[in-house]
Amino acid sequence: MKALLSKSLRGKEVTAHSRSSAVHAVNQRLVSHNSSESLGFEVILIANECSEETKVKIVESVKHYGMEICKFYFCKKDEVIKTLQSNNVKLFLSTDSDDIYKALHAVMKLKLTYDISTGVVCLHVLLSLDVPAAVLYDQNGVLDQLKVTFSGDIIGLSEDSLDSLADFGFSESQIKTFKSAKICIKEFAVLIGEIRRRFGHENSPLCTCLITAWGSRNVCLSALKILGEWGLDVDEAFCMAGAPCSPILAVVKPHILWDGGLHNLRDLPNFEL
Amino acid sequence: MEKKRVEKKRVEKKLESEHQKVAKADETDWAAAKAHYENLKSKKPRPPKPKNAVTIAVSSRTLFDMVKERKIFEEEGLEKYVEYQQEHENEPLQPGSAFPFVRALMTVNERLRTLYPDSEELFDIVLMTNNHAQVGVRLMNSINHYDLTIERFCMTGGQSPIGYLKAYMTNLYLSKDTKKVQEAIEEGIAAAIMYMPDMSMELSQTQLRVAFDGDAVLFSDESEIIVKQHGLDTFFEHEKQHENLPLAQGPLKCFLEALGKLQKKIYAKNERLDCPIRTFLVTARSAASSGARVLKTLRSWGLEIDEALFLAGAPKGPLLQKIRPHIFFDDQMFHIEGAKEMGTISAHVPYGIGQKYNKGKLIEQPEKQQK
Repeated sequence: MKALLSKSLRGKEVTAHSRSSAVHAVNQRLVSHNSSESLGFEVILIANECSEETKVKIVESVKHYGMEICKFYFCKKDEVIKTLQSNNVKLFLSTDSDDIYKALHAVMKLKLTYDISTGVVCLHVLLSLDVPAAVLYDQNGVLDQLKVTFSGDIIGLSEDSLDSLADFGFSESQIKTFKSAKICIKEFAVLIGEIRRRFGHENSPLCTCLITAWGSRNVCLSALKILGEWGLDVDEAFCMAGAPCSPILAVVKPHILWDGGLHNLRDLPNFEL
Repeated sequence: MEKKRVEKKRVEKKLESEHQKVAKADETDWAAAKAHYENLKSKKPRPPKPKNAVTIAVSSRTLFDMVKERKIFEEEGLEKYVEYQQEHENEPLQPGSAFPFVRALMTVNERLRTLYPDSEELFDIVLMTNNHAQVGVRLMNSINHYDLTIERFCMTGGQSPIGYLKAYMTNLYLSKDTKKVQEAIEEGIAAAIMYMPDMSMELSQTQLRVAFDGDAVLFSDESEIIVKQHGLDTFFEHEKQHENLPLAQGPLKCFLEALGKLQKKIYAKNERLDCPIRTFLVTARSAASSGARVLKTLRSWGLEIDEALFLAGAPKGPLLQKIRPHIFFDDQMFHIEGAKEMGTISAHVPYGIGQKYNKGKLIEQPEKQQK
């Protein structure tokens, strides 16, 4: 499975070290179990067109941190999506809002947040239809366990419930986005599920979580069942029913968080509190 | 130097605005949840906002009777345990020690909702377990079966739930695991180890009844230390001398405070005689010699307790049998044992000097192993 890491426009390097190490740990464990293992993570780095000097700097930095990166792409912004498609990328992570926003043809929402107390930088990105959304965490988290988190609200809500969101201020296009997000996460979830099954319940280098921010317990339950049907047995589950998510995320510290674009809607209406 | 300062200010400003964005996202989540619940076809009540609510975290083994499943976990390992739970996921579990307490909390919530329909000052029950999410399916099915209003869950898949207690703004944590409860108390969260009584007792369906021990539960163990180390006479003298000096607070003082806050709301609606919450103090102190200090301390904290029972050393079991609380908190195991034998649901608070003694005798502690 290919995961694409992107470098931000302004030349600041994404500290993908911890994420890459976690991914590397998963790969190593997979191979140690079965040397002819065909599943695994392949990490590709994509960056914008830049000078030769910068290119060299990037490659050197990657080597310096010991990151396992198989391919490097330096391309124009408009070519990013072609690169994604040609490499059959299953997951695209980035901290650059503009880069991703312009690169995709589907509706896109973005938010950059920095949580002071925990030093976590997260970017919520929605890629609809092609590649699932993800959050990039820049943190001093556990380096030998990759944590992947999914949103229970998008996965657990049925078609009717998603439609009824229109009554509460979500626009047609936003609801369409949620529905397509649910479809496109399936492939990624299936692959993660297959990798997860290679390890037991304890000491696994891959940990999967489900966070249901505002659905009821039945939404959480149906999300667990749906993921189970897709072959992904989730390890941790949190149902918030409206309670603030950020303290939980600060404890969970996921490397990758998929929320289907829920928190990135630029035209999110103001709910009456 | 100047450059660094300017850079620092810029970063701080950015952080502040990001912080505000996170707060906004949390508000959005809250509004969306509110909307979702109002849209649900059923009459299910909406969970309250955590910062206004009294949050009670219960573990899976206290809410449900999982003795058989626990045995499988201990004898056959984690994989077999999860498999067993998955195979039986549609079989509801039997009620555990905290079940009547949770039901009573739901009853109080119903009353509060009729009196104050828009208030968020309610009880909020969270299921806090370090089980895997796959076991969670059976837990949620059981919760559905009994129709309990538990909407918030935390299934940590093997990690310690202590870090999450603060994140859920927990006011009280009930578990069967001594280590977790001790850690929670050290973090400043009221917590206790639940015990199932040896015989069942009929409990009130309309009123939540909570009984507390005094020293090392509501109050600190300062007086307890004097009894254990210097004897009763010194203790009586000391208490008489310091009658007007309030005792320091103990681990469960904040929970009593939270109960008191909800009681005051009910009194405000002229329902004092029919209040759905009743609190009891059941202490081995005697009223004459050492009781005054206790009552004066409570008064200085602005707290009320409905009934105060001074036993002057008499066993607590028979009296608790008459009171029939949904839960009884005590720091000393021999009181817990006594209460259990006579049918009271007890919760041990592992705090203070009482942990080193059993029936007045110092327990021989094994040498602490160097890790």
